[in-house]
Amino acid sequence: MSAPNCLRGLVRPSATIPISAPRSAAPRAAPIGLARPAPFSTTALNARRQDPNQQGGGGKGHVRQGKKLKLGKFKKTAVESKGKPPLPGERRAYRKRITLSNDNAIPVPWLKDIGADGLANAQNIARVLALPEEVQDQLRASEAFKPTQCWGMFRKPSLLVRKESVDLMNRIQTSVDNKQTLRLVVTGDKVTGKSMMLLQAQAHAFLNNWIVIHVPEGQELTTACTEYAPIPNTDPVQYMQPVYILKLLQSIKRANEKILAKTYTMTGHPELPQNITPNTPLLALCNAAKEPDSAWPVFQALWNELTAHGTAANRPPILLSLDGLAHVMRVSDYRSPAFERIHSHDLALVRLFTDTLGGAVQFPAGGAVLAATSRNNAPRSPSMELSLAQREAEQAKREEVPQKDPFFRGYDDRVEAVLRSVQVIRLGGVSKLEARALMEYWAASGMLRATVDEKAVTEKWTLAGSGVLGEMERAALLTMRI
Amino acid sequence: MASSRQGLSSAIRGISRRLNGGKWQALEQQFQSLRLSPSLIRGRRCLSTESEPNQLAGQPPITAAPEIDVDVLVKRYRIAKHARPVPVSPSYFSRTPTFNDRYLALEKLAKTYANLPVIPAADAERVAWKTLADLRQSFGEPVKATDYVKCLAIVKRLHLIHPGLKPNAVTEALQDFKRDVQAFLNVPKPIPIDKFGRALGVGRRKASTARAFVVEGDGQVLVNGKTLADYFGRIHDRESAVWALHATNRIDKYNVWARVEGGGTTGQAEALTLAIAKALLAHEPALKPALRRAGCVTRDPRRVERKKHGRVKARKGPTWVKR
Repeated sequence: MSAPNCLRGLVRPSATIPISAPRSAAPRAAPIGLARPAPFSTTALNARRQDPNQQGGGGKGHVRQGKKLKLGKFKKTAVESKGKPPLPGERRAYRKRITLSNDNAIPVPWLKDIGADGLANAQNIARVLALPEEVQDQLRASEAFKPTQCWGMFRKPSLLVRKESVDLMNRIQTSVDNKQTLRLVVTGDKVTGKSMMLLQAQAHAFLNNWIVIHVPEGQELTTACTEYAPIPNTDPVQYMQPVYILKLLQSIKRANEKILAKTYTMTGHPELPQNITPNTPLLALCNAAKEPDSAWPVFQALWNELTAHGTAANRPPILLSLDGLAHVMRVSDYRSPAFERIHSHDLALVRLFTDTLGGAVQFPAGGAVLAATSRNNAPRSPSMELSLAQREAEQAKREEVPQKDPFFRGYDDRVEAVLRSVQVIRLGGVSKLEARALMEYWAASGMLRATVDEKAVTEKWTLAGSGVLGEMERAALLTMRI
Repeated sequence: MASSRQGLSSAIRGISRRLNGGKWQALEQQFQSLRLSPSLIRGRRCLSTESEPNQLAGQPPITAAPEIDVDVLVKRYRIAKHARPVPVSPSYFSRTPTFNDRYLALEKLAKTYANLPVIPAADAERVAWKTLADLRQSFGEPVKATDYVKCLAIVKRLHLIHPGLKPNAVTEALQDFKRDVQAFLNVPKPIPIDKFGRALGVGRRKASTARAFVVEGDGQVLVNGKTLADYFGRIHDRESAVWALHATNRIDKYNVWARVEGGGTTGQAEALTLAIAKALLAHEPALKPALRRAGCVTRDPRRVERKKHGRVKARKGPTWVKR
């Protein structure tokens, strides 16, 4: 007897034993498991079904057909493990990840990059322009992109230049030219492009080598999701948020690396952990914050340096912006040691922003403070809503300016003081010309499979409630209809 | 038998002639239903107005007969007090006398007015004639289907007589064959376009009612003061709301200002479809076939199905419980 047959004689007789193949077919020295050729199948499931080894034996034994009497009524079936659970933070990272390009999208040949004054030029109204690579990195560093925006559908991140964006850039540019600080709030309905307007302003600032400080979400500061600590020697007590400020410092550093390297300190900062002498690049000052403990003093030093007035100071213009204004215009979820709720304006970073928005701080080389309201998960802030409505009515020189409701006591004087003299831009739908430019870009990218003509443009424009951009995206890009 | 009946009638006729001159025919008609049945008169004496021979002696030869007192006659000749009435219609004892009479009358009319000019069927006023079931119901008679068909052919032929020349008798005869409710008289009022160029259309679906003012414009839509995107969260609902404009390629030609109430979002959106379609038809009536193909003309009559006893909802069965 040959060796394989001898070995087979030692195995227990059962159905799992393959029938011995004719000697001519089976190779002589083949091991037992490989005696039968592997069955042809395309999937693992089919493979298992076809495999005769799995059917009869395998330790489970015979399975009775038909109904079975269940004795244990509530016996739970063992839950099969579904693989490795995601690591902590993995799901959130997946949810918040930002994809800026899609290799499957068709590159648009006529797409041009934005120049330094591309967004302030009225000739570019109703044109789609691409963001240069460098600016993309800077915007990503300052967290200007949001995961809900449709960047991941196109080859290159591109912007539609609207009438309002040119208007805003011109206002900013004028104030910078006059070394003044523009204080402005962008408001409007849901998905009308408020955050996108902030992004365009930042892109304009980066293209013109300004310094950009951007707070991507107001709610991260006030919903008590980051650490806070009272700042010593302040009366009334202010609170710093060291972890958040460290993160902010790092994003400022990454976004404005070049310009910070070329800007130097005017005074020394011996109180910081690293001794900063005069004429040190501001980048080094930013690098001084390694730990959350030192974040607030470093940030304060940076802020003082940036806003220092004087002829010797060669300061760049500054753009300070915040998204989700309603969250910083209310009483925060933080508690004082007396367990009273802390007003948002007592948080040091928020106060810094609101003071600037209120006009207490003037940037040496001019600049802008922008805030955008949000319609997603935004708390009601009656004072903010009223103030914005009043400013809007005043700017439009309407006869009727909305007044306070005398029977309502939810108003907040501190909020009203901040918003007493800001400018307001209200965003609505885009014009049909702009809508057409955008749809042509979508069609050229292969994302909209339709002829872009007057009828198609008007249809999407109407479905989107007179050209609300986010709704146009929903109606044209995010539906499954092809 | 026949002579006795004739005698009675001639006697009565003689009285009536004397009493009211030439109006005997009408009287005879009145008495026609009172004709005595032959079985009653059988074997009786012939009635006549001749006076008895003993009275005849001293009288002048021609005298007026005395007045007939029916009560006396009844007493004297033992006639039954209640004479059995004989029906006017000869078809009384058929199963369908009403129908038969109408049918015969119509045949007679058709023959009489066969030479009057007719108008083409398309030009005649549209009339809903009674169906066979309606006819049976209204006459209370088991009318045969074949008779009904024949009768209706005559009715329709008479209906085509030129309306200027149609005799009243024909109009009255046809009246019995018209349905009580004439659906063709229920003509929708044309929607006017007011001085601002607005047309108001009303549409309904489920529990929703929509009123849409449609004006010439550039595709703006306001529903209850909000834009389409604000009012309808679902893209599908927005599309159904402006479907009438979309299906006819008119979405960039009109503006819509609408008021919707009642029901839910789907009902409101589809009520708007109908409202906008109707208002659009006021502007461009030629779009009706296109709108009908797009399903924007007919109201969807479906409503919430009622709940039934023994069921959790309209049809959902209760959960099966063992014992």
